Amino acid sequence: MTEQSSGREPVLAIDGATKRFPGVLALDHAGIDLHPGSIHALLGENGAGKSTLIKIITGVHGADEGEMRLDGAPAAFQNPRDSIHAGIAAVHQERNLVPRLSVAENILLERMHTRFGLIDYAALNREAARIMATLGLDIDPRRPVRDLSVAQMQLVEIAKGLSVDARVLLLDEPTASITPHETGTLFRLLRDLRDEGVAIMFVSHKLEEVLDLCDTVTVLRDGQNACRSEPMQGLGRAELVQYMIGRKETFVTGRQRKPQGAPLLELNDVSTDLGHHGISFDLRPGETVGLYGLVGAGRTELAHAIVGAARITGGSLRIDGEEERPRDIGHTLRQHRIGYVSEDRKGEGLVLMHSIRTNIAVTIWQRIAGRLGWLTPATEKRAVLPFVEKLEIRAPSVDQPVGLLSGGNQQKVSVAKWLAAEARLLIIDEPTVGVDIQTKAYLHELIHDLVEQGTAVLLISSDMPEMLALADRIVVMHEFTVTGEVPNDGSSGEVSGAIMRCIHAEGEEVA
Amino acid sequence: MSDQGVTMPRAVLSGLRRHEWLGLAAVLVLGIVAMAATQPAFLSTYNIYIMLTAFSLSVLIALSQMVILAIGQLNLSVGGLGGLAAVIFAGAMDVLGLPVPLAILAGLAVGLLGGLINGIVTWRTGLNAFIVTLATLSIFKGVNIGLTEAQPFYGIAEPVKWFGNARLGALPALLLVSGPVVILTGVILARTMFGRHLLAVGGNQQAAALSGVGVGRIIVLAHVASGGLAAMAGMLAVARLQLGQPTIGDDWLIVSFAAPVIGGAVLAGGHVSVIGTCLGVAIITLINNALVLLRVDPFAVQLLLGFLILFAVGLGRVRSGR
Repeated sequence: MTEQSSGREPVLAIDGATKRFPGVLALDHAGIDLHPGSIHALLGENGAGKSTLIKIITGVHGADEGEMRLDGAPAAFQNPRDSIHAGIAAVHQERNLVPRLSVAENILLERMHTRFGLIDYAALNREAARIMATLGLDIDPRRPVRDLSVAQMQLVEIAKGLSVDARVLLLDEPTASITPHETGTLFRLLRDLRDEGVAIMFVSHKLEEVLDLCDTVTVLRDGQNACRSEPMQGLGRAELVQYMIGRKETFVTGRQRKPQGAPLLELNDVSTDLGHHGISFDLRPGETVGLYGLVGAGRTELAHAIVGAARITGGSLRIDGEEERPRDIGHTLRQHRIGYVSEDRKGEGLVLMHSIRTNIAVTIWQRIAGRLGWLTPATEKRAVLPFVEKLEIRAPSVDQPVGLLSGGNQQKVSVAKWLAAEARLLIIDEPTVGVDIQTKAYLHELIHDLVEQGTAVLLISSDMPEMLALADRIVVMHEFTVTGEVPNDGSSGEVSGAIMRCIHAEGEEVA
Repeated sequence: MSDQGVTMPRAVLSGLRRHEWLGLAAVLVLGIVAMAATQPAFLSTYNIYIMLTAFSLSVLIALSQMVILAIGQLNLSVGGLGGLAAVIFAGAMDVLGLPVPLAILAGLAVGLLGGLINGIVTWRTGLNAFIVTLATLSIFKGVNIGLTEAQPFYGIAEPVKWFGNARLGALPALLLVSGPVVILTGVILARTMFGRHLLAVGGNQQAAALSGVGVGRIIVLAHVASGGLAAMAGMLAVARLQLGQPTIGDDWLIVSFAAPVIGGAVLAGGHVSVIGTCLGVAIITLINNALVLLRVDPFAVQLLLGFLILFAVGLGRVRSGR
C-alpha cells in the first residue's frame, strides 16, 4: 500500500497540536509534516512531548487543539484502530508483546492464518520467519517471547511493526537495546521502505544514528517546535543538541587512570549453569572494565552469576583474592558490597508502584533499621536524601512513586540505591538505554567520578561510543564465552575494529 | 513513560490512592447516618455491641488474607486453618483438659505451623499459592473433620466462655485481642524492615531479590503470620460461640478477600492498607447488620457481598491506572 506522490505533499501533517494534562502542557502548538519516501527524525529531551505527539498520531490521545491532515484531508483518530486502518503502523517504546505466546503468534497476532477455523501454525511460522528474515533476525518463530532477551524482544517488536504494509511507520526508540550490527540491518530495511515511498518517523536519543539515517528533522522542546520539518542536510550534531536543550552540549572526555592494588574480582575459566564457559578476566578498584558483545552473548547472564542469581559450575571466582561461590544474592551484596544496576529497570530493577524513598532504601534497610527492625519513613528519608540530591533526581518529593518518573530519573534511582549501599563493585547493565542526552552525560560523569574514587565498575553496554568513553579495558563476549580483551587507548576506530574482529573471528569458527 | 505529560493523569490517581481510605470513611459515615436516621434499633447499645463483636472477628480474618495479598499471592486456606486452630483450641480444653493458656498456645501453634507449611511449599515448589492453599484448605478441613467427627467440642473452659460474652457497654472484650493485633500489624507494615520487605517482594519480586532481599524467607514468614492471624480469629470464634464448632471458618473466604480489596489492596501485590482493610471490614459489618435490621433474606447478603467484591476490584483497576 504505498503511494508514490511527488514528495511535495505530506501524507500526514499536524498543525498547532496542543495537549494539556492536569498540571502540565505536554504539547504547545506543535507541528510536523511526514512526506512519503522520507525518513523524518523526531527529537527532544524526555518530557519534550515526543511520546504525546506519537500518541496523538496513533489515536491513543485526542489533541485539545490543532489539526491533523491525512493526504490533505482533515482526520481525527478516536482510537488506535482508526489509525491502523489509515495505514499508520507504530513500534512503541514500551514493549507490547504477550510473553507466553510464541514469536510468530506475537508478530501476526491480529492476522493469524486459519484453516477450517483453526490456526494454521505451519503457515503462521513460515510467514513470521519470512518477516524476521528481512530483518536478518534468526529466532525460532515457535519460541515463547518470554524466553527471549530484552534485545530480541525489541527486534520482534520491530518485526511486528514492519509486517504491516503501512504508509506511515512510526518508530519510537527502536534501537534502544539492540547492537550496532542489528541496527545496521534495521537501517538498510528502513531505507528500502523509504525508497518504496513509505513515510517513516524515527525517534532516537542516539544522534549519530539520526544524522546517518534521517532526511528531515523536527525537534520538540517543552512541547513546542524548536524546529519543524527541516532538511537534515547541513545540520550537525551540535545544531541538533542546541535545538534540543537550548544551549551547547558539554562532553565527558576519557581520562587516563592507573588502577591500583590487587584485583577485587577475578574470574578464571568460569562456567555457569546458564551455559557460560571459559570466562576469564579481572577487575581492580578504580577501574572500569567493559563487557561488549552481540545480543545473546551472555553478558547480563554473567552479571547474574557474579551476584549469585545463577550458579557457577566450574572454574574459580575470587573476590578480594578469596575463592567464592556466590549462592545467595543478599549475602553477595552485603558481604562484598557488590551492586547490580539491571538493564531491565521495570522488570527487575525497581518497584514501580513504590516511592523513590523505599526504592533507594531497599539496599540499606538492614543497616538503617533500629532494634527489632524498627524503620520509619523519616529514617529512610534522611538516609536517602543526600543521594537524591547528589544525583539530581527530579521529583516533587521522595514519596513520589518511581513509576511516574521519566526513564532518566528512574535510572538515577537505580544507581542511587547502590551508591547508598556504598558498593565497592558496581555492575552496570546498559545504563543509558532510553535516557536523554543530558542525563546520559550526567550518568557518564557520575560513573567516571565513582571510578576515580576507587569504585570498580563492570560496564555492560551495547552502545559503542559509551563503551569507548567509559571503559579502561573491554572484554569481548560471544556466545557465552570470552573471545578477547581490548585495551581502550582512546583511538575509537582501532578499538572498535579490534572488538569486531574478536566477535567475528569466534563467530566464524562457531558457524 | 518518557513524557511527563502522559504520566500526569496517573499522578492524580496516585494522589487518590494515597488518601483512598478517606473515601471509604465517608461511605461508612454515610451508611451509619442513614441507618441511625431510619432504624431506631441501630444505635442501641446491644446492636453496636453485636456489630463490634462481628468486627473483632472479621478484622483478623481480613488481616490474615491481607498479609498474603501484600506479597502478591492468595490464601484460600485462611478459613480451613482458622477452623482447625479453633477445634484444636477447643479440643485441648474439652478432651485433654489443658489449662487455657496451654490451649491457646496449642491453637496458635497449629496456625503458625499450617502457615509454615503453606509458605515452605509455595516457596520450595514455586507453585502458585492459589493451588497450594487450595490443597492445604482441603487438608486442614480433612484433619478438622477427622478429629471432631463433625461434632462440636462443648467443654469450653469458663474463662473463655466468659471472655467471649464479656462487654463494657457496647465494647466487647474480644476487642482486647483484635485491637492490639490490628495496631501491631499496621505498625509492622509501616514501620519495620519486615514490612518493607513484604511490600517490596509483592511489588516486584525480581527487583527485591536483586536488591538483596531474602525473598524466600519473606514469603514463608508472610504465610506464618497469616496462619497465626487465622488461628487467633478461630479461637475468638470459639469464645464467642461458646463451643468448638467444626464449621468455624467455612464462611470466611468472601470476607477475607472483600475487606482488603475494598480497603485498596492491589491484587498483584505490593500495596495494602491496614486502615483501608479495617474500614472494609466495618463496611461489610454495617451492610450485614443493616440487612438483618431490615429483615432482608440472608441470601441477599451473599449476593450483595459478591457485587461489592466486583465493585472493589473494579475500583482497584481504576486506581492502578488501567
